[in-house]
Amino acid sequence: MKRKKIIQISLTLLVLGLIAAGSIVYYQFNQPHRNIQESKTDFSFSSSQIVKEYLANPEGANEKYLDEEGNSKILEISGIVAEISEDFNKQKVILLKSVSDNAGVSCTFTPEINVSANQIKIGETITVKGVIRSGASYDKDLEMYENVIMEKCSVVSK
Amino acid sequence: MRNSIVKIVSVLVLLVATTTSFAQKVVSQKTSISFFSHTPIEDIKSSNFKSVSTLDTSTGDVVFSVPMQSFEFEKELMQKHFNSSDFLDTKKEPKSKLVGKITNLSQVNFKKDGTYNAEVSGELTIKGTTKTISEKATIIVKGSTIILKSKFYIVLADYGIAFKKGKPSTNIAKIIEVTVEAEY
Repeated sequence: MKRKKIIQISLTLLVLGLIAAGSIVYYQFNQPHRNIQESKTDFSFSSSQIVKEYLANPEGANEKYLDEEGNSKILEISGIVAEISEDFNKQKVILLKSVSDNAGVSCTFTPEINVSANQIKIGETITVKGVIRSGASYDKDLEMYENVIMEKCSVVSK
Repeated sequence: MRNSIVKIVSVLVLLVATTTSFAQKVVSQKTSISFFSHTPIEDIKSSNFKSVSTLDTSTGDVVFSVPMQSFEFEKELMQKHFNSSDFLDTKKEPKSKLVGKITNLSQVNFKKDGTYNAEVSGELTIKGTTKTISEKATIIVKGSTIILKSKFYIVLADYGIAFKKGKPSTNIAKIIEVTVEAEY
C-alpha cells in the first residue's frame, strides 16, 4: 500500500517534470522576437553624435552598442530627414543626416509601423526609435562612407 | 628615338585620362540578400535589405558590404544562434564583404537596354575569413537603372562557420543557397 503510493507520487512528479521541461523547450524554440517599440530606449543621440562616435572609435562603439545575439541597443536618434526611399521589402527607409556630416543614420520602418513615417518630408527634424544593426565607417572598397543602420523603426516625435 | 618615347608617353597619358574620365561608379542602397538552408528536418530562410553595393561600369568592379545583424529570421532563437559567437559572431564581425570584378565586361553593354550574363570573380569575406569565388550573375540594363542578380552556393565550413553540437548542427545545411539582387 505504502509502496504503491510512493510509485504513484513519483509518477506524478515525473509527468509534471516532463510537462515543465517540455514547456521550457517549447518556449525556447518559439520565443517571440523582442518588441523594439515597447522596449526601453538605451541611448538618445543626434545623428551627428552617433556618426562621430563610430568614425572616431569603431571597435569601442561596436562593443558598446552591438549585442552578441543580435539584440543590440535600442536608440532614439534625432536628425534632419535627408532622403526618403523604399526597399525591396516595401519598407520605408529614411536617412537622417546633417549636410556637414560624412555619414548619417539609415532607418528602416517595418510595414506595420510604416504609417508613422508616411507624413515625413525631406528637411524636417524628427526623432526615430529603432534597433542599431551596424555603425558608420569609411569603406575603402566602396570608396564611400557607410551610414549607421537602424531597423524596426518608428517616429517618436516630429 | 626620343620623339617616339614622348609619343608613347603621351598616348599612355591620354589613355589613362580617357579611362578615368569614363570611370562611372553607381551606388545601390536598394538591395536584397537572402539565404536558404534545406535539411530533411527543416528549411531556414533569412533576408537582409540593408546592404550597400557599388558597381563601376567602366572597370567592372563590384563591391557589396553586408551588415550581418540585419538578417531577419522567422524565429527569435534562430536569429540568436545566427548572431552568436558559435556561428557568425556578428558582434566581432558586423559586416561581410564581396570585392569582385566582372570578368567578361566586354559582353555587357551598360549603355544599351538588355539582359546580360556576367561572370563575377573576387574575394568574399565572411566572419573574417576571405575566399576567392567565381559566380555567374545577370545584369539587366533598363534606361538609367541597372539591376544585378545572382544566385550561388557557399560552403559554410569554408568560412569556419559550424555548430559543433546540438540542434543547429543537424538543422542547418552544410551548403547554403544565397540570392542577391541590387538596383543601381
